[in-house]
Amino acid sequence: MGGFFSSIFSSLFGTREMRILILGLDGAGKTTILYRLQVGEVVTTIPTIGFNVETVTYKNLKFQVWDLGGQTSIRPYWRCYYSNTDAVIYVVDSCDRDRIGISKSELVAMLEEEELRKAILVVFANKQDMEQAMTPSEMANSLGLPALKDRKWQIFKTSATKGTGLDEAMEWLVETLKSRQ
Amino acid sequence: MFAKLKKKIAEETAVTQRPGGATRIPRSVSKESVASMGADSGDDFASDGSSSREDLSSQLLRRNEQIRKLEARLSDYAEQVRNLQKIKEKLEIALEKHQDSSMRKFQEQNETFQANRAKMAEGLALALARKDQEWSEKMDQLEKEKRFLTAQLQEVKNQSLNLFQKRDEMDELEGFQQQELSKVKHMLLKKEESLGKMEQELEARTRELSQTQEELMTSNQMSSDLRQKLKELQRCYSALEEQRDHVTASNAGAENKITALEQKEQDLQAFIQQLSIDLQKVTAETQEKEKLITHLQEKVASLEKRLEQNLSGEEHVQELLREKIVAEQNLEDTRQQLLAARSSQAKAIDVLETRVKELEQSLQASEERLRQSRDVVAAQDAQIQELAAANRDSSLAQQQALTLEQQCRERTHVLEAQMAALAQAQAADQTAAECRMRELEQENAALKESRNEFEHSLQHHQFELKKLKEEWSQREIVSVAMAQALEEVRKQREELQQQATELTASIDKKNQSLQEKAEELLQKEQEILQLEKGHASAMLQMHQLQSELEALRSQRAEEVLVTTVQEELPRLQGQEPHVTSEAMQDPMCQLPAADGTPNGEVGAMDLGRLQKEKQDLEQQLTEKNKTIKQMQQRMLELKKTLQKELKIRPDSELFEVREKPGPEMPNMAPSVTNNADLTDAREINFEYLKHVVLKFMSCRESEAFHLIKAVSVLLNFSQEEENMLKETLEYKMSWFGSKPAPKGSIRPSISNPRIPWS
Repeated sequence: MGGFFSSIFSSLFGTREMRILILGLDGAGKTTILYRLQVGEVVTTIPTIGFNVETVTYKNLKFQVWDLGGQTSIRPYWRCYYSNTDAVIYVVDSCDRDRIGISKSELVAMLEEEELRKAILVVFANKQDMEQAMTPSEMANSLGLPALKDRKWQIFKTSATKGTGLDEAMEWLVETLKSRQ
Repeated sequence: MFAKLKKKIAEETAVTQRPGGATRIPRSVSKESVASMGADSGDDFASDGSSSREDLSSQLLRRNEQIRKLEARLSDYAEQVRNLQKIKEKLEIALEKHQDSSMRKFQEQNETFQANRAKMAEGLALALARKDQEWSEKMDQLEKEKRFLTAQLQEVKNQSLNLFQKRDEMDELEGFQQQELSKVKHMLLKKEESLGKMEQELEARTRELSQTQEELMTSNQMSSDLRQKLKELQRCYSALEEQRDHVTASNAGAENKITALEQKEQDLQAFIQQLSIDLQKVTAETQEKEKLITHLQEKVASLEKRLEQNLSGEEHVQELLREKIVAEQNLEDTRQQLLAARSSQAKAIDVLETRVKELEQSLQASEERLRQSRDVVAAQDAQIQELAAANRDSSLAQQQALTLEQQCRERTHVLEAQMAALAQAQAADQTAAECRMRELEQENAALKESRNEFEHSLQHHQFELKKLKEEWSQREIVSVAMAQALEEVRKQREELQQQATELTASIDKKNQSLQEKAEELLQKEQEILQLEKGHASAMLQMHQLQSELEALRSQRAEEVLVTTVQEELPRLQGQEPHVTSEAMQDPMCQLPAADGTPNGEVGAMDLGRLQKEKQDLEQQLTEKNKTIKQMQQRMLELKKTLQKELKIRPDSELFEVREKPGPEMPNMAPSVTNNADLTDAREINFEYLKHVVLKFMSCRESEAFHLIKAVSVLLNFSQEEENMLKETLEYKMSWFGSKPAPKGSIRPSISNPRIPWS
């Protein structure tokens, strides 16, 4: 009954909130990206112990964006948030060449999850404003993205502090989500 | 006596000595002296008067001596007076001279003054005349102005008086108006009250009226019913009357008939009697006739005898014969007639008798009918009486109805009249009130105008007052702001003091924690060193294993070459898995296995097995290598994080909980999917748990729904508990549905005890 009515109301009041996870290793810039998307400003962040959840409206589409803390100790808890996820924004620090392997293993482990089988993957090659940043293609190769099958994915070079690349990425995400519906 | 005399003498001398127009001074002096002397003497005399006369002589002597002294003194005074007169005369002369000179001077001065004065007077007069004219003109003007002003003043005074009067009148009028207004309001209220009462009364009356009308209606209906009844009754009555009339008529007819019948009967009886009489007569006649006949027969016989005797008279005899024949014929006729009459009479008598019988029968029947009809009449009479009674009742009811109707009508009339009167009174009141209202409104308008005028001035004053108030309020605000600022400053100071104390406390704490952290760091470094040692040992093991593997390979090569010793194989088969399993922990275990490979025969199958085993071992080796690589990566990561922490720690100690690299760390990352590892990490992630639970409690329900899993994983909920949580949240989120019953264990800590984590 309640479900029926809620479905009616959700159909009446249009858009369901899209559920998006922002994942990535610690210090990749997930929280900065979240608040850049929400308020359009660069906020000073502290390492996220736990998570941040905000509602972001982009092109009349409402997103419930979850920014989960990426520290090693709390990475295992990511899987608690996987259910009903529409898209995953995987943020990678383009300058952190040492930990790209860990990033890859985490990404692979995440993508193996059944609950995320239908989720769209958007990789943000963040911190592109730095000098020694990896190129997106380099990044894609080191993350093993070309090997992914049955998965819609796209990599974007972004800079959360400068605000570059986020719009394109979100545009692509919105279009993909709309086309998937 | 003597004193008086002497006084007189002295006075006379003084008068004589004094020249004409002499000065008064000497006289006055003498007078005084004399008076003083006289007084002295008088006193003495008075005192002496009471003394004896023997002393008089001595006293006289004394007096004489005094008199002499006084005379001497008088002469002295006279001489002085003379000197003084001389001096006076001289002085007078000098004075006259001086007077003359001064007079002259005076006259001269006077003349000059006169001349000057005349000149001045002329000039002044001219000037004065001019001035006078001017002043007069001015005066005229001023007077005109004055008049004008006085007139204005008077006007103004009048106006002011008028104004005051008007104001007073206005005030009075206002008072009166207010009074009147209040009165009128009061009256209006009263009127309204009375109106309300009247309306209530009216309503009550209308209700009564309606009730009465209803009653009237009912009574009318009753009356109409009664009328209908009455009509019916009247109809019945008329019908009954008609019936009665009819019956009475029939009765009368019956009685008439009866009487007629009785008359008939009587007639008939009379007739019968007559007939019997007639019969008797007829019998008598017949007897007479028979007598006659006999007589005649006798006659005839006589005649015939005569005839026989008298042949002469034949004609006569013939005639007589003829007559006799005719008489016989007549007789026979009469006899026949008589017989006929007798028969007819008998017939008639029979008929009559039958008729009489019939009549008697009919009479009896009619009598019976009469009786019946009488009974009927009596019954009808009774009915009639009843009807009459009913009629009376109905008439009474009609009368009552009429009276009721009349009463009702009267009441309705009265009520209508009252209503009309009330309406009139109301209308009159309304009109009066309206008139008053209009008047009052007019007055009010006038008053309002005046009030507006007053209000303007008042507003002006108020405006000024407001300005003053504003200034005052501004000043107050300023002062309040100052006070607030002061308070704020005080608070800030207190806060700052608190902060300072807190900061000092926190600094102490930080110092302590810093020390602890340094210790921990040392421990961790030791751990890292241990890990590195372990790594080195693992590497060593790896090398050993590799060497062993090479040794094994070489051995196998030898074995292949030898291709002997079959009985030793089972041992090898049994040992080599053991070796692979134990190779990790203890490289020494490999040695007996290596040693235990005797030079037995080996078949082709054994060779295949050995090759498989070799492949397995190689796979294991590659896996181990992978794990070693991962371990190395993790080591690198850990080193990095450690270095970072080392860098960060001096700056901010907030991130102390961030990562705790411990011995369990290597287990974490590679096996993300392994739940068993999560339980180990609990202690570290208390902070995480805290954050998640806090968010779970504070965030929206749609968000909380996604957090259920995280919470249940962190708190190690069972599936049932997690489902229960989900259901309750769904119930909260949905608008409908019933609250899910608490399933499973309500107190999981008791029913399903778990290892409490510190």
